[in-house]
Amino acid sequence: MGIKGLTQLIGDSAPAAIKENEIKNYFGRKVAIDASMSIYQFLIAVRSEGAMLTSADGETTSHLMGLFYRTIRMVDNGIKPVYVFDGKPPEMKGGELNKRAEKREEATKQLAIATDAGDTAEIDKMNKRLVKVNKVHTDECKQLLTLMGVPYIEAPCEAEAQCAAMVKAGKVYATATEDMDSLTFGSNILLRYMTYSEAKKMPIKEFHLDKVLQAMSYTMDEFIDLCIMLGCDYCDTIKGIGAKRAKDLIDKHRCIEKVIENLDTKKYAIPEDWPYQEARRLFKNPDVLDPETIDLKWNQPDEEGLVKFLCGDKNFNEERIRGGAKKLCKAKQGQTQGRLDTFFKVLPSNKPSTPSTPASKRKAEEPKKGSKGGAKFKRAK
Amino acid sequence: MFEARLLQGSLLKKVMEALKELLNEAAWDCSDAGIQLQAMDNSHVSLVSLNLRAEGFDKYRCDRNLSMGMNLGSMSKILKCASNEDIITIKAQDNADTVTFVFESPEQDKVSDYEMKLMNLDQEHLGIPETDYACTIRLPSSEFARICRDLSQFGESMVISCTKEGVRFSATGDIGTGNIKLAQSAKVDKEEEAVVIEMQEPVSLTFACRYLNSFTKATSLSKSVQLSMSPEVPLVVEYKIEDIGHVRYYLAPKIEDEEAA
Repeated sequence: MGIKGLTQLIGDSAPAAIKENEIKNYFGRKVAIDASMSIYQFLIAVRSEGAMLTSADGETTSHLMGLFYRTIRMVDNGIKPVYVFDGKPPEMKGGELNKRAEKREEATKQLAIATDAGDTAEIDKMNKRLVKVNKVHTDECKQLLTLMGVPYIEAPCEAEAQCAAMVKAGKVYATATEDMDSLTFGSNILLRYMTYSEAKKMPIKEFHLDKVLQAMSYTMDEFIDLCIMLGCDYCDTIKGIGAKRAKDLIDKHRCIEKVIENLDTKKYAIPEDWPYQEARRLFKNPDVLDPETIDLKWNQPDEEGLVKFLCGDKNFNEERIRGGAKKLCKAKQGQTQGRLDTFFKVLPSNKPSTPSTPASKRKAEEPKKGSKGGAKFKRAK
Repeated sequence: MFEARLLQGSLLKKVMEALKELLNEAAWDCSDAGIQLQAMDNSHVSLVSLNLRAEGFDKYRCDRNLSMGMNLGSMSKILKCASNEDIITIKAQDNADTVTFVFESPEQDKVSDYEMKLMNLDQEHLGIPETDYACTIRLPSSEFARICRDLSQFGESMVISCTKEGVRFSATGDIGTGNIKLAQSAKVDKEEEAVVIEMQEPVSLTFACRYLNSFTKATSLSKSVQLSMSPEVPLVVEYKIEDIGHVRYYLAPKIEDEEAA
């Protein structure tokens, strides 16, 4: 899952790349959402008294509940979500997937022990670890999205990569996910906590790749190498090298090849089978659909269809579903509020990007004048 | 060392009213030319640009450029402590992390000073190009405030359309519609009561009432207000502050949805 320790590293060495914003400030933005990740999140988080929500015949409905209400929350705030589903995992992810399967087996054993001992907290914890998104879940989610009039895309391979390609092509504003490898795939803006519940009052965290690169003074290739060194889903890392050391090494040598050349192999053992070049290729040229061929369309929701699908067997409250459908309809109408920064260009800041003392930071600030006539009006897409 | 003394202290109180509804905090950029402030609201839909020229102050001194990040809520609290007749002086040392406001009563028998902590702000500045607008409309500021207030009862947004005949403000909502038409004044005794329209081409744009209503908090700064519009660019609402500068608001228009059939 993601890149190990990257959030922390960015927080420490490029704080300017992280911004916090309220969800209502994202009105009018198109956002690509990593569907598998959010469904998983819903299965874990949307529960009642520790148990997943189920239909009359015991089928899980947590994912539908989560998807329905959290999508409406976004739409209600003027956001246009598009969900991206995972395709086939790349072969290189096999190792990672095996590891996950092992962990699951381990959790099953632990669960049996906890059940015997009657330790409810432990049972709960292990139950959550056993959660797996299966095909029924994803198929039901796709059906629900169609009824809601929200578009979805099936990525040929990794959803993260597809999202990033869409951000790069300007099809969407940002990727919403909790996985940091979205940045490694080149998604310029990553939003976290987008699909969290309203009740948590969690502001959206925005990560800007360009600012990360600028603050760390890396090229994209160097950044990818750093991520591989930190630990990604595709290959192992060098034992004994943590986030701090990995950054120091890339700072000094600028690429993994040079790092290996200069590394004291007695102290740090390079994994025997270390396909970092292959991992690099996956990050740089992942298997994605050409974003230009993707036609994103937000349709009118099918209220009756939603009621038929969610109420009845699945035990949803009809009134609330109809209420939700009304909100979706309302958001479809009318105009979108424009933003000033699409008309006026942001002037480059002449402040130092490294953290400094308040006094010295203020000194570096000059009144921004003399910009008149410099920028041209730019129309939003 | 920075020092600016303003005889008409009430002016700063009014400026504060004009800013604080849209902005929570802002950087006051001081140079030997005067004080400037530019900031967008949180949602990046509107922008406030304030300019107070050095010569408008009774005394003005700015040895080196400085940018003071202030919490406008706190600043407003401090300015509430000044009476309308007071003379206000703003003072700061170079590289200080506080700013001092001094209020003197006209008879000089009471002097109060308040020190406020500054903030470290990381704000984006926008480059605003000089634009020839297709329409400019000058009208009494109280009239504009009234129009915004009245029409915001009808809907969230307001259409401003300017033609040869005059300017029309309209809003539509659940309860019905409202339209206000203003014609160019033929002859007026006082210039500030006139409605003056200059137009190259007709323009019609839609704006959120919420922001327009916030802009009208500057009404007390000026008798008249000027609206400038061009197709598909932000609206400019300018209040001139006599003898010293202006406050300008920019507001992004609402845009038709590309997908909407």
